[in-house]
Amino acid sequence: PLALPGSVQAASLRYAGATARLAETPISGRVTDDQGAGLPGVTVVVKGTTIGTSTGPNGEFSLSVPDNATLIFSFIGYKTQEVSAAGRTSFSVKLATDVAALDEVVVTGYQVQRKADLTGAVAVVKADEVKDLPSGNIMRNLQGRVPGVSINTDGAPDGGVSVRIRGLGTLGNNDPLYVIDGIPTKDGINQLNQNDIESIQVLKDASAASIYGSRAGNGVIIITTKKARKGVNRVEFSTFATVQHPRELAPMLNTQEYGRTYWQAAVNDGLTPSSPLYTFRSHTDANGRPVLDEVVVPEFIDADQTQRAADTNWFEEIQQRSLIQSYNVNLASGGERGNALFSLNYYDNDGVVKYSNFKRFTGRLNSDYSFLDGKLKVGENLTLARSRQSYGEDRQALGVSVLQLAIVPVRTVDGVGWGGPVNGIADRQNPVRLLEDNKQNYGVTNRAFGNAFADLELVKNLHLRTSFGIDYSLFSQRSLFKRYKSGYLSDNLNRLVNVERTFGNWVWQNTLNYSLTLGKSQLDLLAGTERISYTFNELSAQRTGFAIEDLDYAYLDAGSANKDNGGFASAYRLASYFGKVNYAFNERYLASITLRRDGSSRFGKENQFGVFPAASAGWRISEENFLKDNVALVSDLKLRAGWGQTGNQDIAYDAAYSLYRPVYGTDPTWDPDQGTAYDIAGNKTGALPSGYRRFQQGNDKLKWETTTQTNVGLDFGLLQNKLTGSVDYFVKNTKDILVKPPYLAVVGEGGDRFVNGASIENKGWEFLLGYQNEVAGSGFAYNITGNLSSYRNQVTALPREVINAYGGNGQDVTIIGQPFGSRYGYVADGLFQSQGEVDTHATQVGAGPGRIRYRDLNGDGKIDNFDQTWITSNQPDFIYGLNLGASYKGFDVQLFWQGVQGLEVYNETKFRTDFSYVTGENWGKRVLDAWTPENNGSTIPAVSLLNQNNELRQSSYFVENGSYLKLRNAQLGYSVPQRLTARLRLQQVRLYVQGTNLLTLKDRKGPNAYTSLDPEIQTFGYPIPVTFTTGLNVTF
Amino acid sequence: CNDKDFLDVSPRGALSDENLNTPEGAEKQVIAAYSALANDGFTAPFSSLWPYGNLRSGDAYKGGGGTGDIEGFHFYETFTFNRPDISNTDEVWFRLYVGISRANEALNRLNKVDMPNKAIRQGEMRFLRGHFYFILKELFDRVPYIDETVPVADYEKISNVDLTSQQLWDKIAADFQFAVDNLPASQGEVGRASQVAAKAYLAKTRLFQAYVQDDNHQVTSIDQAKLQEVVRLTDEVIGTGKHSLSPDFGNNFQSQFDNGRESVFAIQFSKDDGTPRGRINQGNKLNYPMNAEFGCCGFHQPSQNLVNAFKTDAKGLPLFTTFNTTSLTEPADFQNNAVDPRLDHTVAIPTHPWKYDPSFVFQRSWVRVPDIYGQFMSQKELVGPKDQSFQKLPPFMSSTKNWAVIRYADVLLWKSEALIELNRAAEALPLINELRRRAAASTTLLKDISGQPVSNYRIGEYAADQWTQEYAREALRWERRLEFAMEGTRFFDLVRWGIAADYLNTYLSVEKTRRQYLQNAQFQRGRDEYLPIPLNQINFSKGLYKQNPNW
Repeated sequence: PLALPGSVQAASLRYAGATARLAETPISGRVTDDQGAGLPGVTVVVKGTTIGTSTGPNGEFSLSVPDNATLIFSFIGYKTQEVSAAGRTSFSVKLATDVAALDEVVVTGYQVQRKADLTGAVAVVKADEVKDLPSGNIMRNLQGRVPGVSINTDGAPDGGVSVRIRGLGTLGNNDPLYVIDGIPTKDGINQLNQNDIESIQVLKDASAASIYGSRAGNGVIIITTKKARKGVNRVEFSTFATVQHPRELAPMLNTQEYGRTYWQAAVNDGLTPSSPLYTFRSHTDANGRPVLDEVVVPEFIDADQTQRAADTNWFEEIQQRSLIQSYNVNLASGGERGNALFSLNYYDNDGVVKYSNFKRFTGRLNSDYSFLDGKLKVGENLTLARSRQSYGEDRQALGVSVLQLAIVPVRTVDGVGWGGPVNGIADRQNPVRLLEDNKQNYGVTNRAFGNAFADLELVKNLHLRTSFGIDYSLFSQRSLFKRYKSGYLSDNLNRLVNVERTFGNWVWQNTLNYSLTLGKSQLDLLAGTERISYTFNELSAQRTGFAIEDLDYAYLDAGSANKDNGGFASAYRLASYFGKVNYAFNERYLASITLRRDGSSRFGKENQFGVFPAASAGWRISEENFLKDNVALVSDLKLRAGWGQTGNQDIAYDAAYSLYRPVYGTDPTWDPDQGTAYDIAGNKTGALPSGYRRFQQGNDKLKWETTTQTNVGLDFGLLQNKLTGSVDYFVKNTKDILVKPPYLAVVGEGGDRFVNGASIENKGWEFLLGYQNEVAGSGFAYNITGNLSSYRNQVTALPREVINAYGGNGQDVTIIGQPFGSRYGYVADGLFQSQGEVDTHATQVGAGPGRIRYRDLNGDGKIDNFDQTWITSNQPDFIYGLNLGASYKGFDVQLFWQGVQGLEVYNETKFRTDFSYVTGENWGKRVLDAWTPENNGSTIPAVSLLNQNNELRQSSYFVENGSYLKLRNAQLGYSVPQRLTARLRLQQVRLYVQGTNLLTLKDRKGPNAYTSLDPEIQTFGYPIPVTFTTGLNVTF
Repeated sequence: CNDKDFLDVSPRGALSDENLNTPEGAEKQVIAAYSALANDGFTAPFSSLWPYGNLRSGDAYKGGGGTGDIEGFHFYETFTFNRPDISNTDEVWFRLYVGISRANEALNRLNKVDMPNKAIRQGEMRFLRGHFYFILKELFDRVPYIDETVPVADYEKISNVDLTSQQLWDKIAADFQFAVDNLPASQGEVGRASQVAAKAYLAKTRLFQAYVQDDNHQVTSIDQAKLQEVVRLTDEVIGTGKHSLSPDFGNNFQSQFDNGRESVFAIQFSKDDGTPRGRINQGNKLNYPMNAEFGCCGFHQPSQNLVNAFKTDAKGLPLFTTFNTTSLTEPADFQNNAVDPRLDHTVAIPTHPWKYDPSFVFQRSWVRVPDIYGQFMSQKELVGPKDQSFQKLPPFMSSTKNWAVIRYADVLLWKSEALIELNRAAEALPLINELRRRAAASTTLLKDISGQPVSNYRIGEYAADQWTQEYAREALRWERRLEFAMEGTRFFDLVRWGIAADYLNTYLSVEKTRRQYLQNAQFQRGRDEYLPIPLNQINFSKGLYKQNPNW
């Protein structure tokens, strides 16, 4: 009953009609998969002609063909099959699954290559495998799935993610370059609709990435969006609903427990316990030791009796069970002369922290049109995205939830006012107030991203392509900060802040591609130019004094005082030339050479242009006769080696210049005023005279960082490619790393100066192994894919003046030779159990029973600065992922595990749970088991208010085993049988349920156990929720 | 266009160095340098020097939310854990050099342009530079000295030990002398340095310089010629008649008397001035009590020892030897003992009116952690919640009340000190008594709700009969302590006099019985007189800077 399948028929009839003079014989048939199920959407064309159609819902097709025609059946994910039509009018074609995907085409930068011909380290991810995961950011979904790519994330709805390819390669921005349909960008991947993504390729080594030159130093991730294909008319609808469950964070003390712990801490310190909040009743036992009988909690905690003493669980107050919803529709129509794909997506994630919502609406139109008998192709890829993100007090609320005492009520007794700290409680905000008072505040980003292109075949196989791309965003935020009183914290001014940013760039690319076959030689040539121009503009304005605290009222004009505004801009440009030659001889010997020259406005006058070369070679051993004919086991075997250089230019856009700016004043709440205004006349108010301040010192010699990478790899397929895999080894050296080193204070402000200073080395291994099989005739198929990668990082050079900024003793021990991020500190050697142990230990100021004992590493009888060592390297032995999949008839099941092994983390959670040295901040429940003379087996130091032993110093007390294995995803799907869907004119219907983060395995016992909840997050960051999803995909 | 043109992207919204070499640019840079006077923050104040001058002197406890709340200050107070890598130390070093660089920056412009008041502006900038170096010298002793003639590229060649301690004092004195020679007696704009202020600061410099220290910070001799210069300069200041003591001691700590006659040089603050939060005093913003009207952050608490020091005997004179044997703690103690009226101007005491408002009574519950830091708080630097200068800066608060760098009382006591050390103690007696007379007259603000004096005030003048040099020295030092208590100068006095180690270890031996957190506190002679040179700076200088002794 739907119109679209009909139009398929109409389109194919028209094509058939156009070639009617040749088409003599009407034929018909049905295309099925291995299991005999009809395959809809298979392209059927007559070889050497434009006659064709695509299969209907049940896989059936009909067509008129000339005599002696050969039919070509093709469908993505299946092996293309040719069938002679001679003398036949009825066909039953079974397409085989394309398991090896050797003919798969990979986008490698301004061109495509067969995967079989690749000589660089390129990982290919099929977006279909992960598109149903509810995260809203495709990169989050790749966690653990690509060897050599380390992805760290939290549970925030905005999809923030850190992607690191082959270790930390620079001291600055380590984010990779993203290239979406040919257009480079550095961020905003969370604004992509993951349903639009066809495939993702990760260019890991320099021989693959150097075509992107000075921006490829951290690796390149190429994202290709879906296009309509010739002869396919289809509507896909998909939706899911996900329930996210909040997680308990570190359990903190309740009201009674805090009172008891405070009393114990004061007693431990030799103080007489007293508190503005609690009343203590205690006596002295026979040994003269004080014993607590009772902690009396007052009815009210404030003198005005507005705050009734509570027992608030702040984590519960700020978290919620919440929903993620996604709706996606994708319309594809492919014809002989043009293809168009249109998609719409709505994604809405409420977050497990209240009011941390992220919403996104995206629309995409990808289309292309052929002219001049297919010699000219013109098209565009364009996506418009609108995302709305809450103001972002969620992290701050999480942070203060840890600190705020349970005795503080959420609301005052009238139910309207806010509870908040009173004397005896640290000056921390009520986390619920932070969230509620900011719930009206959010930012909206509107982004247009895409390109228009034309591709002209000048002579056979010589393509001139020009593409003009844009990536512009408009960010807008209007935030109303309300008046409040919350205990002794208050603000009696409300304030509206408007911020508008416009930023983005255009990209103009021109390329020439030529491919040539000469005997057994296959040659591909690429030459091109690219120019990028980026601008950023910000305007902000604010006022205070709004009569009504409602966003509908609170526009700037409605404010009565303190008009303030601001604005600034920045810009950069890139001009580049590049070329690449791919050579293949006899399908066995492969070679590739790349050269790119980049000019960047960010660099000094003397070094504005850089050249990035690369070369690689491959040997398809499996094509050699000695293997091909003799070893049946081996279906595919390729050895690859590559070398190349890439760059990084990620510094401030005006980094090369000396700068002075007029700065009237800056907000002095947390950092000192950096301004230049002064009340020289002593008027106490009114406009002030002001001046300028230096911002930066120039550097005409500034240039990009250079990463030189060597890669050796082996790809293999065994047993008819049932078992496939690859192994890679790389050495990656980055030099001239851009640093803005801290400088001698005598220079004063604005002494900052970017220099090319540091060097880092990374070496590592990556393994990928997959096995897939089908139990013949049973309809049961299964697959296992595992990957594992490991790297070793070390800092190999630093400017002398900053060498001590990354740890070390300031003398002979430095970070050189250590992994970047290593921590230097004291070795905690358990707790002193008795005064006797204190007396026999080296002199340690603040030592005492129940206190941490620090090891006298240099044996000089005293604990001081020189008793420190490297206490963790902060890098894992390896990271890995394991995917188990199976299908039977219409059912499919998938389990995905991901893990990190051998990682010693610095667990900062313990700062908050084990210690409270700002009085009136809460302790964690862990301290209920803290050391006391009676509980002397404990590993948790005696509670204290004074920290006489300076136990927050960097020490191995905080180092724990951060290894984990998580069941990231479990999914069960059911595809409704074709015979049922066909009745509804539907091609495919799939229902699924899945859960994420269902299980975490970690080190729970022993001296090195991970003592907090989630080893993935060592602070009180946004918790990663457990989620359950129900989803539906329909194609018709 | 070609690539070169395409890639030529000039910075947006910025100026180059040369753009500023105009009379107008120079004037603006002068203002920018003044602005640095007040650009301090709460983690490294340098308007008030309370973390360095009071916490290390036995006058004040850190206060705040416990020993971990700005831990660096806790380490200053207890000495034992103080280290060269404490960030507060590096920060105050850096920010003082920001001030110096702004002064040098302005001098550079001034040297290049012609303008009618060029010499005056140069004098002002050298005054400011002298001020910043003076603080550095008090804090660190040996610091690299850089003036506007040194190109930035050569800064890394200048060590902190290139100049001896005395040479460094001479450099600072030279800046103030230049200011004396070029500034007018008074300036139209009250915020600008005047010749009188420069003379006073020069006197202060020479006074500090007079106490000659060896390499281990021990005072070895007192330079009589320098003392005579102090007497001459202070006489000139006094002789101008431009300044005098305020009639009431409390006027110095109330915003409505800003830039009054006692103020020789003060840092100016403002609000509703077009800056994001006003230019209110940031260096003292941690020091408000925890009651509902304020709420943050309870730092800077007078020590029990300091409170006891305000006790007076039957003649209204200090109890030099016995003051600390009993403590003033309970409300009755302030009635049963006689005290110097300056106590209630300085210290917030439970049951006493807060800041002269009889209806606004300070209570123990306003103190943040009395278990650790006792029940007193500071109040000179603060204003009441209804004061016109008060402003919230959530979660903090502060005011536009000036911060006096030099007040006239200082000039009188510098002169007294120089006279006593010149063995002319008799001439110092009337000066010290002038301060005591003013203190005696400063009780009108100290009334409770029924109009009765808050404490039992008794203060008398010293008599000439027992006024020996030794007695006068003791009296002078006591007078300085009470007059300037909690104003951030005490520790530098102790070091100048060469008594810091003995004084502080004596103080700690008693105070640790009152305050548990002082258990491990100990002053190390020959080390703790100065802060360590920040480790960062030694590293950034690639070892050119030398650490102070015994760190």
